[in-house]
Amino acid sequence: MAQAFRVSDLTGIQVRPARLWTHSLSWILFVTGIALYAHFSIVRHQENPEDRVIPSATQLVQGLKSSVLEPAEEDDPLDPGATLLEQVRHSMIWKDTASSAGRFFIALLLLIPAMLLGMHMAVFPYAGAFFLRFVLFFDKIVALSLLPILFIVFGIGEWSKIMLMFIGVAPTLMLDTYNIAGGVPREQSVKAFTLKSTNLDVAYRVVLKQVLPQLINSLRLNLKPLALFLFAGEMIASTDGLAYRIAIMRRHMGMDIIIPYLLWVALLLFMLDALLRITNRRLHPWYQPL
Amino acid sequence: MQRYPSALIFRVMKPSNPAQSKRGLRTRFAACGIALLLAFVVCWSAVPAQAAPPTFTVGWSVYAGWNPYFYMAKSGILKRWADKYGVVIKVQRFDYAASLDAFVAKNIDACTMTNMEALDMPAAAGVDSTVVLVGDYSNGNDAVLARNNLTLAQLPSKPILLVQKTVSEYLLERAMVLNGLESQLPRLKLLNTSDSDIVGAFLGDKSNQVAVTWKPLVSNIVDQDKGVKSLFDSSHIPEEILDLLVVRTDVLKRPDGSGLKFAKAIAGAWYETVAQIAAANAAAISGSAAASSDSVASYKEQLRTTFLYSSPQAAAQFTQSGELKQKMDLVRQFCFHHGLLGQNVQSVDDVAILYPDGAIQGKKDRVRLRVDATYMQLAAQGKL
Repeated sequence: MAQAFRVSDLTGIQVRPARLWTHSLSWILFVTGIALYAHFSIVRHQENPEDRVIPSATQLVQGLKSSVLEPAEEDDPLDPGATLLEQVRHSMIWKDTASSAGRFFIALLLLIPAMLLGMHMAVFPYAGAFFLRFVLFFDKIVALSLLPILFIVFGIGEWSKIMLMFIGVAPTLMLDTYNIAGGVPREQSVKAFTLKSTNLDVAYRVVLKQVLPQLINSLRLNLKPLALFLFAGEMIASTDGLAYRIAIMRRHMGMDIIIPYLLWVALLLFMLDALLRITNRRLHPWYQPL
Repeated sequence: MQRYPSALIFRVMKPSNPAQSKRGLRTRFAACGIALLLAFVVCWSAVPAQAAPPTFTVGWSVYAGWNPYFYMAKSGILKRWADKYGVVIKVQRFDYAASLDAFVAKNIDACTMTNMEALDMPAAAGVDSTVVLVGDYSNGNDAVLARNNLTLAQLPSKPILLVQKTVSEYLLERAMVLNGLESQLPRLKLLNTSDSDIVGAFLGDKSNQVAVTWKPLVSNIVDQDKGVKSLFDSSHIPEEILDLLVVRTDVLKRPDGSGLKFAKAIAGAWYETVAQIAAANAAAISGSAAASSDSVASYKEQLRTTFLYSSPQAAAQFTQSGELKQKMDLVRQFCFHHGLLGQNVQSVDDVAILYPDGAIQGKKDRVRLRVDATYMQLAAQGKL
């Protein structure tokens, strides 16, 4: 039962936009952004046809092709007769994505015990008393300033970057998990105890089970700081990786490669976030956030 | 009503017609907003537009040969020369990479950079640039450091800490080539390390055996670790790592001639400053050391391995010589082989360099970097 549209509806709360608008309105901002970029690119290219600061569409396509099809410059060139699949497999973007993704997922795996510790801190009072203050303090230390110490302790290899990611994100996740798990009413654990459950039963089968969807959402929100620390570590000392390539390209204004890389990273993070969201919904269909 | 004074208050406060007063409130807001806007507009236009003298910005970053710009501005030498030519010159400090970005984006008019970056950044990005001053060359300021008595021949399997795609990589390549190890170049394992962290990383972890960097970071490392030796430094490749002042050609060629005045003013100020530094004037040295928060001793140590062209005659002579062309050729070949001239540049001649005698290295219609000895010549003849 569609009602006539009035201008005051734009600021109303009790409105139901037509399907057309819900699907298409959000594209307006994208189109505006792309139009602004195109405008500035054209203006700069009129002054200077070889401008690389705001690359034109052809330059971007060229940059995309060279990152997807050509090997990194430190690697040996491919035989000219290589198939498309082989070219992609040995390309710059594949190599960088593989090394960055490796570091990212190792850090992600290390964060799982951190979240479990946060849950334990909420459920077991002695664990909370022991860890809480320290985690609160450690959370406030800006991880990037610890980077020189990390380089000394872990070397310049993979582990310093993984530990940077861990130190940057784990305290936040621990505190968030602590708050979420602490929100489970005490009555439930008491009730479970009356039904002859052990401590671990309460922790894992009562508390963890019901807060898991919220924990997964918290992890989704922290994917961005995790990627941020990964990039910081790679830009400062690395031999390969997405941010390494961006840092190198920056030295000679290679924006035609940097912009495709940025969009690729955005796409990867978006897909990971979507994967986590769909997994959450599948595993916990009963979880309907208010 | 007197029995209930609160009712009186409420009666006064309660509007008679809600819809009317809401509209009244809205019109009141609108009226205030328009009044404020008018006030702003009036104030803005009340400021008379004066004829401002042309303003130019020079970007500099911390390096032994560029610190004098800070002293030049602070001591008033620059202002005196700028007033003489009727221009306003501002100096602005940047990080090195940020200064190059600002120059390419045309946010600043002139920038201090090495000859390698003059080719990579502005020239290769199509921003026509002119070298106006050749300040100095690195005569030992850049070095290849190694522990455990490693030799150059043993480098290929060890990870090397350096800032990639800068003069450090150029220095390393020249080191290998000059020692007959050119064939080993592809086997070098380069680890891109930011200059802010290279000292900590190299000193903190003894398994990092090789680093290539510049003073004062080199001095920091060598002072703190006696086992580190310099395998090769820029004194073995004199005149190849030049430190220049580069101005955008369209700024220099402004139709009202203000660009020329700017170039003359900055050249005059530079040679006056450099003369003071060469004469070890205490104020000049401490002023320049202060630019990078260095101690005077540390700055003097850096100056020791910097060959300053303190007399304009020496600078002009070098700029007009065939040596410059030879050295620039080495640099441009390096830049081309590492894709620094641009991803799609097919030949090294696509970014051409024009020299003071009219010779062009590269394709004639693709000149992007010009070397101009006029201002150094004028300074040498005392005509500034």
